[in-house]
Amino acid sequence: MKKAIGDNMFAKQWGLEKGLELVHKAGFDGIELWLGDVPWFQLGTTDGEVRELRRKVENAGLVVSNVSTGLHWASPLSARDPTVRARAARIVEREIETAVLLGTDAILVVAGLVTEEVPYNEVYRRSVDALRPLGETAARAGVRIGCENCNAEHRFLMSPREFGQFLDDVHSPAVGIHLDVGNIHDTGFAEQWIEIHGPRITRIHVKDVMKKRGRCGDQSVYTNLFLGDNNWPAIRAALTKVGYDGWLVAEMEARYRHAPDQQFYDTAQAMDRLISGRL
Amino acid sequence: MGISRRGFLGCVAGSLTAGLPLDRPRPVATRPRRVLLDLREQCALPESLSGYESALAGLGASVTRADARAASGCALLIVPAALALPATAVRAIVTCLGAGATVIIESGAGFAPSRDFAAHRVALRDHLRLHIEAPLGLWSAARRSGAVPYVDYTWPSPAQVRDFSRVVPLGRREDERDIIARVDGRPVALKRSCGRGDLIFLGSPLGPALWAGDAEARRWLFLTVRGARFGG
Repeated sequence: MKKAIGDNMFAKQWGLEKGLELVHKAGFDGIELWLGDVPWFQLGTTDGEVRELRRKVENAGLVVSNVSTGLHWASPLSARDPTVRARAARIVEREIETAVLLGTDAILVVAGLVTEEVPYNEVYRRSVDALRPLGETAARAGVRIGCENCNAEHRFLMSPREFGQFLDDVHSPAVGIHLDVGNIHDTGFAEQWIEIHGPRITRIHVKDVMKKRGRCGDQSVYTNLFLGDNNWPAIRAALTKVGYDGWLVAEMEARYRHAPDQQFYDTAQAMDRLISGRL
Repeated sequence: MGISRRGFLGCVAGSLTAGLPLDRPRPVATRPRRVLLDLREQCALPESLSGYESALAGLGASVTRADARAASGCALLIVPAALALPATAVRAIVTCLGAGATVIIESGAGFAPSRDFAAHRVALRDHLRLHIEAPLGLWSAARRSGAVPYVDYTWPSPAQVRDFSRVVPLGRREDERDIIARVDGRPVALKRSCGRGDLIFLGSPLGPALWAGDAEARRWLFLTVRGARFGG
């Protein structure tokens, strides 16, 4: 397994180059690039600029692990407004295009967003319908779409069986799950999600979760590896059982208040322990 | 025309298990009796078209998805999520109404840009004497009140269907006696005689609710189709 971390973790004052240097120095193999979340990688970033971005990543001794985006929170594939839906599909297409340019074969998508206004059944059907043609586009490009299990955040596909049914309904080998082991909270067990989805897992986000703490003010339910309630030995065993040998991508929400660069070193070391199984 | 929910479910379940669809055996007809008018790019919500199609199929009612040329002579014409109404579609609607058909026009203009909505409004006014107002977002008020803005149908029997975020209300010039649904007190659907037929206008799309499997929406459609002229 290889380890990566997102460029959305960079402190604002660092910029891209300093951030990449830190990621490499901390011992990561790759970088997850967040389309729309950082100034150097926007929807308007040209193909030429994306190639230049890849050059900078490789010059820093890294590769791109995958392309992710948070843009679908504001523009979901499940929106009722056809204009918003079209924008959401275009975001996925741009993720696919840039993944090819950046030399990676996986993208992350937040598949649907259930709200008070847009009910579950509509979100389910619309997300399936949106992902079918996008899966064909991804397959042609040699890229896999990983739908992230955002569970409580998107109030959608809360159980691993339902997520599996959803992928069955999309029915595309190019559409799988970008599994976040921190997002399951108190609704299940990450190791079971790994066992159930096995070969459909495109990438894995790692973070820890404090299952008894809900979101409250500036308190996050998420924390750094090994500080929360995830059963890491069980997660590691499940990864071995299903033969997962791909990228582990750190996605930390709570950041260090002081010495923010230290979080990169600590996270890389914790991931080394996880990969080696010394738990 | 009234039917209880229990009665409706019993009827549907019975017809399905007994292999008795809504369609009775009849002589071979050259024209489809029920037509879903596919406006293609002028259908703002493809899921609405799919919703009517799957719901009618589920109710055992044969329906043909077709363009305007195939619509003449049908008993029931449904125009899902209409945005602009091309001249061929208007001709088909008027011809069907004149021949005694039931025509359901569902507005798909709730999310339309203002220019497209203006064209939609003019087409409905000039060709069908339907008066509508600008689309209205329902959810800012709903969030304040904490209530879901259901569309309340009073015809063909009482039914509550979830809103579709934005509705196209009917204008004040419409006859109160024709109103068949309201949301937050505003009229959003009507039924009136037109030519020898019946015109039903839906200002809040029903098709997406059918598509999502909404039981009340299906019940409403079942009863409307059953009561349509020549539609039984």
